[in-house]
Amino acid sequence: MFDLLYKELRLAAHPNLYIFTLLGVLVIVPAYPYGMVFLFSCIGVYITFMYGRETNDIYYTALLPVRKRDTVKAKCMLIVLAQMTQLLISLPFAILRTHILPEGNPAGIEANVAYYGFGLIIYAIFNVIFLPQFFKTAYKAGKAFLLALIPATFAVVLMEVIVHFPKFTWLDSVESGSMLRQLPILAVGAAVYIIGINIVYRVSAKHFEQVDL
Amino acid sequence: MNALSVQGLTKHYPGFTLDSITFSLPRGRVMGLIGSNGAGKTTTLKSLLNLVHPDSGTIEMFGKSFLENEENCKQNIGVVLGEIDFYDQKKLDTVTAVTKRFYSKWDEKAYEKYLEMFELDPQKRVKDLSTGMRVKYMLALALSHNAKLLILDEPTSGLDPVSRDDLLGLFRKLVKDGERSILFSTHITSDLEKCADDITYIKGGKLLKSAEKSAFIKHFDYLKKPDEKTGLSLEEIMIRTERRSYDV
Repeated sequence: MFDLLYKELRLAAHPNLYIFTLLGVLVIVPAYPYGMVFLFSCIGVYITFMYGRETNDIYYTALLPVRKRDTVKAKCMLIVLAQMTQLLISLPFAILRTHILPEGNPAGIEANVAYYGFGLIIYAIFNVIFLPQFFKTAYKAGKAFLLALIPATFAVVLMEVIVHFPKFTWLDSVESGSMLRQLPILAVGAAVYIIGINIVYRVSAKHFEQVDL
Repeated sequence: MNALSVQGLTKHYPGFTLDSITFSLPRGRVMGLIGSNGAGKTTTLKSLLNLVHPDSGTIEMFGKSFLENEENCKQNIGVVLGEIDFYDQKKLDTVTAVTKRFYSKWDEKAYEKYLEMFELDPQKRVKDLSTGMRVKYMLALALSHNAKLLILDEPTSGLDPVSRDDLLGLFRKLVKDGERSILFSTHITSDLEKCADDITYIKGGKLLKSAEKSAFIKHFDYLKKPDEKTGLSLEEIMIRTERRSYDV
């Protein structure tokens, strides 16, 4: 399993995946729609899949002494690693901003507990659509990206807009009381993400078994 | 024991069917898979590697079902798809560093020996290799993990006569100890005169004949003209079998 991930990082991942993953730091920007961070991650994944097609990465992997479905597993692991790394990178900056920018983010949601919960759900929406769709052909990355990006963007817009409604101001807070109230969103996000990626792997592998390379 | 045994391999495409292909390749032999362009050579090779999902048929490598022992079988094979290059922009060193992690029998000394023998510079990028050098690099990877069965799709296409001769000579040497077997597809019949022990001929997705070379040539004696005394060359067999007349 580690060897497959190593292969993804050394051969398959496009440098842009690393750059977009680093964009987790954007939560330190004083006024910015932080939901964009998750969409940048989606772009990084898309570029890597395009690059994989260009470099015949899928062929290479399918010829390694692994099962055909392990090609799918390798991609799932790469995406999970990129998304989790992005969240981890953003965390210290999210904490830092509460100290150096206490006036908050006027553009949209704060980088708070709810934000990370929603983020996991947004990642899950993208993964659930993008990967099974891509592995129907192991070729059409553009179509899969478009189909996945539209609902993911819709979810980001919803998250950014909802916090402007008075009823949901608690979602836009970094006060400890509000953040405690936001914890269930994080829990739901984590559950959706974990269940999502497991379904993604099973369905994508099933699709890929039928693909003629 | 056979290195490879293919039974009833069938794959339907709209407008093309690979129809119940059956052949076997004993250890220590070189088999040429011939056919005109579009006859189904690549589909056959891809199907037996599970790159293409066959509709039916069984594939056994070293006496084991390939689909049930995919990982294990792949440890013992080396594949070169002539038309496909991996990671053009990466250095050979990088591709090797990743590839070797997957093979339990990787032999670093052998790898270095083959690099030297094939005059491959590990610091070169894949894109900077000539077609012949790319095939040799893929062979070096395959041989360094001690592959017992080499499956090569048109490895000699696009090579100059010298490189081709060089490669065919290498194939003969590789099977000499009786441990390795080679299955390679080609439409260049002179390759086979030089180095194949067995020949499998596919036409329009159907198996015409799979046999030891002299038996194969004898089988097609019916194509000879009355004044021809000696056996036909493989090229003549192919041309006479495939010849079409256009009514224009």
